[in-house]
Amino acid sequence: MILLDAMQAVMSVDVLLAVVVGTISGIVIGGIPGLTATMAVALLIPITFSFSPLIGLAIMGGVYAGAMYGGSIPAILLSTPGTPAAAATALEGYPLTKQGKGGLALKVSVVASFIGGTFSVIVLLAIAPVLANFALKFGPAEYFLLALMGLTGVVSVATGGLAKGILSGLIGLIIALIGTNPMTGMTRYDFGIVELYEGVSFMPALIGMFSISQMLALTGERNIAKSDVDLKKIKREKLPKGIWPFIGYGTAVGTIVGIIPGEGATIAAFLSYNIAKAKSKMKHLFGKGNPEGIAAAEAGNNACVGGSLVPLLTLGVPGNTVSAALMGGLMIQGLIPGPELFTKHGVITYGFILSLFLANVVFLLTGLFFAPYFAKIAKVPSSILVAAISVFAVVGSYSINNSMFDVWLMLIFAFTGFFLDKLGYSLSAIILGMILGPIAENGFTQAMTISAGDSSIFFESTIAKVLWVIIVVLLAQPLFTHYKNRRQRIKAMRME
Amino acid sequence: MKKVLSTLVLGALVITGAFAEYPSKTIKLVVPSKAGGSTDTTARLFIDTAKKYWKNADFVVVNKPGAGGLIGFSYEQRQKPDGYTIGLMFTPQFVAHIVSKKAKYTLDDFKIIGNLAQDPGIVVVNAKSEVKTLDDLVRLAKSKTVTAAVNGIGSDDFLAAKQFEAQTGVKFNLLPTKGSTEQKTAILGNHVDVAFMNLSQMLANHKAGKARIIAILDMKRAEVAPDIPTSVEQNYDVLMTATRGMVIRNDVKKEIADKIRELYMQVIKDPDFQAKAKKSFIFLDPRPGDEYRKYLEKLQADIQRVYDKTPW
Repeated sequence: MILLDAMQAVMSVDVLLAVVVGTISGIVIGGIPGLTATMAVALLIPITFSFSPLIGLAIMGGVYAGAMYGGSIPAILLSTPGTPAAAATALEGYPLTKQGKGGLALKVSVVASFIGGTFSVIVLLAIAPVLANFALKFGPAEYFLLALMGLTGVVSVATGGLAKGILSGLIGLIIALIGTNPMTGMTRYDFGIVELYEGVSFMPALIGMFSISQMLALTGERNIAKSDVDLKKIKREKLPKGIWPFIGYGTAVGTIVGIIPGEGATIAAFLSYNIAKAKSKMKHLFGKGNPEGIAAAEAGNNACVGGSLVPLLTLGVPGNTVSAALMGGLMIQGLIPGPELFTKHGVITYGFILSLFLANVVFLLTGLFFAPYFAKIAKVPSSILVAAISVFAVVGSYSINNSMFDVWLMLIFAFTGFFLDKLGYSLSAIILGMILGPIAENGFTQAMTISAGDSSIFFESTIAKVLWVIIVVLLAQPLFTHYKNRRQRIKAMRME
Repeated sequence: MKKVLSTLVLGALVITGAFAEYPSKTIKLVVPSKAGGSTDTTARLFIDTAKKYWKNADFVVVNKPGAGGLIGFSYEQRQKPDGYTIGLMFTPQFVAHIVSKKAKYTLDDFKIIGNLAQDPGIVVVNAKSEVKTLDDLVRLAKSKTVTAAVNGIGSDDFLAAKQFEAQTGVKFNLLPTKGSTEQKTAILGNHVDVAFMNLSQMLANHKAGKARIIAILDMKRAEVAPDIPTSVEQNYDVLMTATRGMVIRNDVKKEIADKIRELYMQVIKDPDFQAKAKKSFIFLDPRPGDEYRKYLEKLQADIQRVYDKTPW
């Protein structure tokens, strides 16, 4: 009954308009590195106060969903992830753009984002309270294992051989050590620089290593795409066959990881990417432009949107910074997270959830319509593009924390990244180490504090046991392949 | 003729520019934490109301997050003393950084405009826990190892836990977390025995019956939750409150500082501002400059004593 009332409430002109405006601005915000959905939602809080609650929430929800998708557009076209969660997308998207298939990559990305996003909202709508209890079972030990599971990805994102991949992951982990030790409050390797007290900020590192180092490589080319970009051909192009299971993996992983409070979307994207590679029949194409990787990663990060709202709406535990800002938007309307949200304020809450469906539809249509035109960017002369992107990279790095230090940081990462890449080290493995290092450390030390130094805490719960099994499976396959290849190579050498 | 005229116009422009009444350009409100947090919301609500009183003024929020506010506080002190930068700060971190010698500023570098809001410390347990009072907590801590979640070393939660330990002689297994969300999950998911937090962070969960706040670390009960007893009522002299105030540089001209003080008074008395703050779980606590400054000085001395015994 409430659901019908909610549907009626959503179907009013002003709410629909709010969804469209919110989603489209979300896509733009997500597409520009340095502008985040968190900032946009925080900016909206005092403004939406004067609107009716549902309109305010519909705009914020639209921004959230739109931004999560929008991050993938520059990731694919320019190897410049608009959000950290789109980093995995860049790994496959940019190589496709180079081959003149940027339009296809964009299509795969928007469809996968739509399916991931929509499914997670269905889950939110149907079984949020049940899932909230699952979210709470995740203690520090489980967080550590989740981070470990993500770190197995180092093996699969690495393209330049196993040893260099692992070394790259270690470089990332070492960079992650910079900052405050969470247990003692002492700072490590900070050289007395206040900006490093909280660690190396992540977005400048990402922009430097992914975007600028690619732009440096581009200076030697006329433009990004080698072949021609044909508008008509892109419009007619169908999605690759067999892409659906990969969207499915991403959707499942993203929904589950999203529910767990913590910065989920980036981890979800990399984990989905990792699983996609393990499952793929075209493993050799990964890193060289495999749409399957995009499908998994994009479904994965967008599925986090619905997931992260589960603990927020039911328990008042925000899953990430965007939903923390969203919580501010809820509270100023007098909507306090908890069971009452689904009964007393049911019409607004369910209306908000339903508006998220519409937000997904809006970005799907927008994305599909503009994909061929966006793809044209691959034919823009490098002389213009490199300059333009560099400006964006500098402004973007600055605006994350309004800090000039971050701009220098970005440049350092850009140049070291360029050379490390040339030497065959994996920049994505470095990024992965940087994201997961602090989560692993925090989980490990917290778990060990709770258990007073007894390491059996990592094996106690059912969730922990399941995570161990997945870790072993994810590790076994690439290691086995590596071992087999080596044996064959040695055999071949003996034959000679 | 043309030349004379343009010189005149230019001259007039320069003069009006120099003597233009404050405020004639955009005022920065520096928030030493991330967008979307409680301090950030306070700042944005403040601006929303301030525009009512200063119709021609423009305001912008500048977020300078990191290092427990230290990056933002230091930034506030480095800006030009022209009155176009108003800094938000929060305690106890603002003075704790001075005590722990991490800060390059001192209290004397700032003119204190006043306090905006406060958020009392609380002791909270899972709703299913057998601990119902502070006495219960002490008893439990004497019989087994009690894990207590605090939000980072040197934070208000940490200081409150240390005070509690010093008062009662018990020793907690302290679990520092990154942010209050981790504390919330730890309490709701029963991963720790107790947490030292702030009222606004757990009020909703307490009211929903998912968590139990066993004490407010304040002299008087909170208006929003009159059912929760204070620490003083339970005969524990453990007090901790987070406050959020406004500062400008000490060398800002007196006329300008007075104007900012006036604006602060107008906004904080505004019924609309008060209503929005209440809904956002921002507990307003107006304390003008001198009174708030005395509070900060006392707080710094108190923290110094804890630091001298157990530095971090």
